[in-house]
Amino acid sequence: MKRYPCSGCSLLCDDIIVKSDGLFIDKIIGACLKGKERFDQVSAQNRITSPLIRKNNELINVSWEEALAKTVEIIKNSSAPLLYGFSNVTCEAQRAGMDLAREINGFIDSNASICQGKILNKAKSQGINLTTITEIINKGDLIILWGANPAETIPRLLNKVLFSRGKFRMTGREIKTLVIIDPVKTASFRVMGVRDLALIIEPDKDIELIQMLKEECCSADSIPSGGVAGIDKSDLKRLLLHLTGAENGVIILGQGVLQPHADYDLIEELLDLLQLINDRQVKGRISLLLLGGHFNMAGFDHVALSSYGVSGKLQFENKKLVKSEDTIVSKINKENFDCSIIVGTDPISHLPHSLSSKLARKPLILIDNHSSATSRIADVILPTSITGIESSGLVYRIDQVPVELKKILNPPNNIPSDEELLNQLIKKFNGGAK
Amino acid sequence: MDFLLNTIRKIDNDQVKEYSFGNDQSLEENLAISFISPKDFDKLNLVPSLHLKISSKQRNIVVKFEKDDNIPEGTITMPVSIWSNQLTQILEDELVYKNIVVSVEATREPILKFEDVIQKIRGIE
Repeated sequence: MKRYPCSGCSLLCDDIIVKSDGLFIDKIIGACLKGKERFDQVSAQNRITSPLIRKNNELINVSWEEALAKTVEIIKNSSAPLLYGFSNVTCEAQRAGMDLAREINGFIDSNASICQGKILNKAKSQGINLTTITEIINKGDLIILWGANPAETIPRLLNKVLFSRGKFRMTGREIKTLVIIDPVKTASFRVMGVRDLALIIEPDKDIELIQMLKEECCSADSIPSGGVAGIDKSDLKRLLLHLTGAENGVIILGQGVLQPHADYDLIEELLDLLQLINDRQVKGRISLLLLGGHFNMAGFDHVALSSYGVSGKLQFENKKLVKSEDTIVSKINKENFDCSIIVGTDPISHLPHSLSSKLARKPLILIDNHSSATSRIADVILPTSITGIESSGLVYRIDQVPVELKKILNPPNNIPSDEELLNQLIKKFNGGAK
Repeated sequence: MDFLLNTIRKIDNDQVKEYSFGNDQSLEENLAISFISPKDFDKLNLVPSLHLKISSKQRNIVVKFEKDDNIPEGTITMPVSIWSNQLTQILEDELVYKNIVVSVEATREPILKFEDVIQKIRGIE
């Protein structure tokens, strides 16, 4: 029995006990439902273990040579390839993806740009206070879930940060206050105790709450007697008291807060509020933790910054990095691409119809290990090993802390890792030159 | 009736799980589904044999529904999936997954099948 990190979600729990003989996994101890599912993917019925090519509208098993030749043919016929995904692969594979994008003069971006990466992008001009899981465990006394439901998305997050006793605390859960701000009473509400604060906000009224909190930070007693956004005055006062009185508070932000609005920017308003509160704070500070589900969603920005000096999307022309105002959404929306290479994600399922239908119109190469809506329309599917079980590598946790994933088993049919496959593709274009 | 559509992640209605371990039928069973408050259930005169037709300005889908006390009145939620993403939108190059105004009506039309969604995405209506 050995301890391994889990790649079931971006929390990357490093306390999972696995009993394995290197051929099969016999026992898994300590994994949550999502973690267990991740390990079960090794023998999942819809696992893809050999390359496939679409012929006469049907996916046919082919040899690696034929699949790679078809992939090269599609890319060589393309003048504007689009590479997307890369949040379910290691940093090494992300780096290989970026190098491939450079070789083929493509545009590359990750899922993070439509998720937590949006907040980090805004924070470039405004600044941001981030924190780590360890800091919350050891020092945290206030946890605010804002538009976030970790009980169902990152199941062990609350176990770790809420129910644990920190090094610098005499007690654990007893001194940690949980505040949840959400229009829907999600599963995360079920862990609330008597001194916690459940704030059911009216849908799409977060801006009213933020503006009221900002006003209240500047001039006391500006809370209307009827409350704001469906939250009554006494609860708002308690919220403000917690925000300004906590020693180590954290706001855990979910997708609920990332929504765009035509006439204001909720993220900028929230970052402003955070600065105001921290200015007024006498005892400590309030920080942010950005929720993202994929196990290496945080890695792409780090790799892009360290490899190419730019965080986020990269556009290459003549094998050189160039500036681009485009985003993955605008690229697809304007159909400013002529083929796509999708790595470890399922955009046909997770993008709106207006984008997925445009992706489906152009040749699509999928690098993934299980079937999905994207595999239903892909022209070529290149299977890869399951990262964190069948291959190893570096990934970044939800709180930007690097974690090394380990290999437990050999993959079936000797299928390559994402990194190995992407490096093979690079060699097809540059003949092995660095 | 107009509602605000919110797409949310639910551990029991998870598309990755269905794609890995399920089939087209289990996909439809667990993802072609919406959740509404009991008050809206009454307002729409729903009975369990009906389905919901949810329409945005551009497209519509037919899915089954469940009553859920935790959903606020006037809101309809769906798990993040290929079905809900037939209704999600783009605003100034950003994706809108929450608070989308949709019109909801009871219908006897069958639930939109997974293969039919794929065909629509491929432009084969």
